[in-house]
Amino acid sequence: MSNKDIQRTVTVSIQRFNPDVDKKPYMQDYKIKMRPGMTILDALHEIKTHQDGTVTYRRSCRHGICGSCAMHINGRNTLACKTPIINEVEKDDRVTIGPLPYLPVIKDMVVDRTSFWEQYLRVKPWLIPPDNIPELEFRMSQEEVKALHDAEACIMCGACYSSCAVIGMNKKYLGPHALLKAFLRVLDPRDTAPSERLEIVSQADGVARCHTIFNCIDACPKGLNPTQAIETLRKLAQKRQKYEEAKRERQKHLNEPIPS
Amino acid sequence: MYKSTGFISWLLRRISGVALVLYLFMHLWVIGAANSGVDTFNSRLDAVQTPLFKVLEVALLAAVVYHGLDGIRLLLIHYFDLTEYRKSMFWAVFILSAILTLIGGGAILLIMANGG
Repeated sequence: MSNKDIQRTVTVSIQRFNPDVDKKPYMQDYKIKMRPGMTILDALHEIKTHQDGTVTYRRSCRHGICGSCAMHINGRNTLACKTPIINEVEKDDRVTIGPLPYLPVIKDMVVDRTSFWEQYLRVKPWLIPPDNIPELEFRMSQEEVKALHDAEACIMCGACYSSCAVIGMNKKYLGPHALLKAFLRVLDPRDTAPSERLEIVSQADGVARCHTIFNCIDACPKGLNPTQAIETLRKLAQKRQKYEEAKRERQKHLNEPIPS
Repeated sequence: MYKSTGFISWLLRRISGVALVLYLFMHLWVIGAANSGVDTFNSRLDAVQTPLFKVLEVALLAAVVYHGLDGIRLLLIHYFDLTEYRKSMFWAVFILSAILTLIGGGAILLIMANGG
């Protein structure tokens, strides 16, 4: 950021909606002075603290790990806390911020995530461990870790879920977040119920409902790939008995060191 | 609304898919007359030889080409883990469909203009 940029005044256009007062959402503009290293979340703090205390949004950790501040910034879903404002105001000194699309708005940027969590619980996102729990640790090979494609890094922010056009039309769809979690558990060598999980995801509202629009990949602030996970689940769902047998065989050796 | 190349490809896929189903009824209406005698068949075939239907034929070509190529794109992504190339593959399909529609559509309209 150059010296000129420090003096730059930018317009933050925020979608406002208070269901108690407003009939429909409207845009409200705020002018703020940019500071070096300022993020969108910093800008929202600036507005809330100095200009309008009624601006409402969720936030917690402010360094991209809690997943609270996912919102719709300049037409795409991302985390407000890890988006530098300078990257968003390049064109006309203006940034547009709204709530996550396709979800009911509670107030301003705060959305109702009930369906998000309901679908998440449907895939049984917890680990179902084997009986032979090792004394020290489970051992995974490099290949097994690689096959997970960092899916464990998901922070459940909802950016992928509310970018999905299928979710916009059909709230019964499991959603990219739940399917990514199912993928993580199915490929986890410790998990003992891959067949059960694959049966859940291969129901009508599961993997078959994905229309490969790829918005989830574009939206994910962690750079994860839910579509690839869904494609993998589609393939595994067709041979789930065989897959479960192979996994049971693998689980007999969870205590042993990985052969190099 | 979340706009992206994926959304455009999905929208075009849906529209072309519905258009092809509607075309199928039209097609059955013409071809189905083969059992009702030569005159009926010829009269129905004549009904779809007007300039309007020639122009619609170009649209049909566009729908078939795009829908088919987009399907191939999705199959490739499904079998070969190509999600990384989703955008370039969409534009490749889009431009290839446009070129094929221009060539084929030009031919259809030229034949019509020459009284074929």
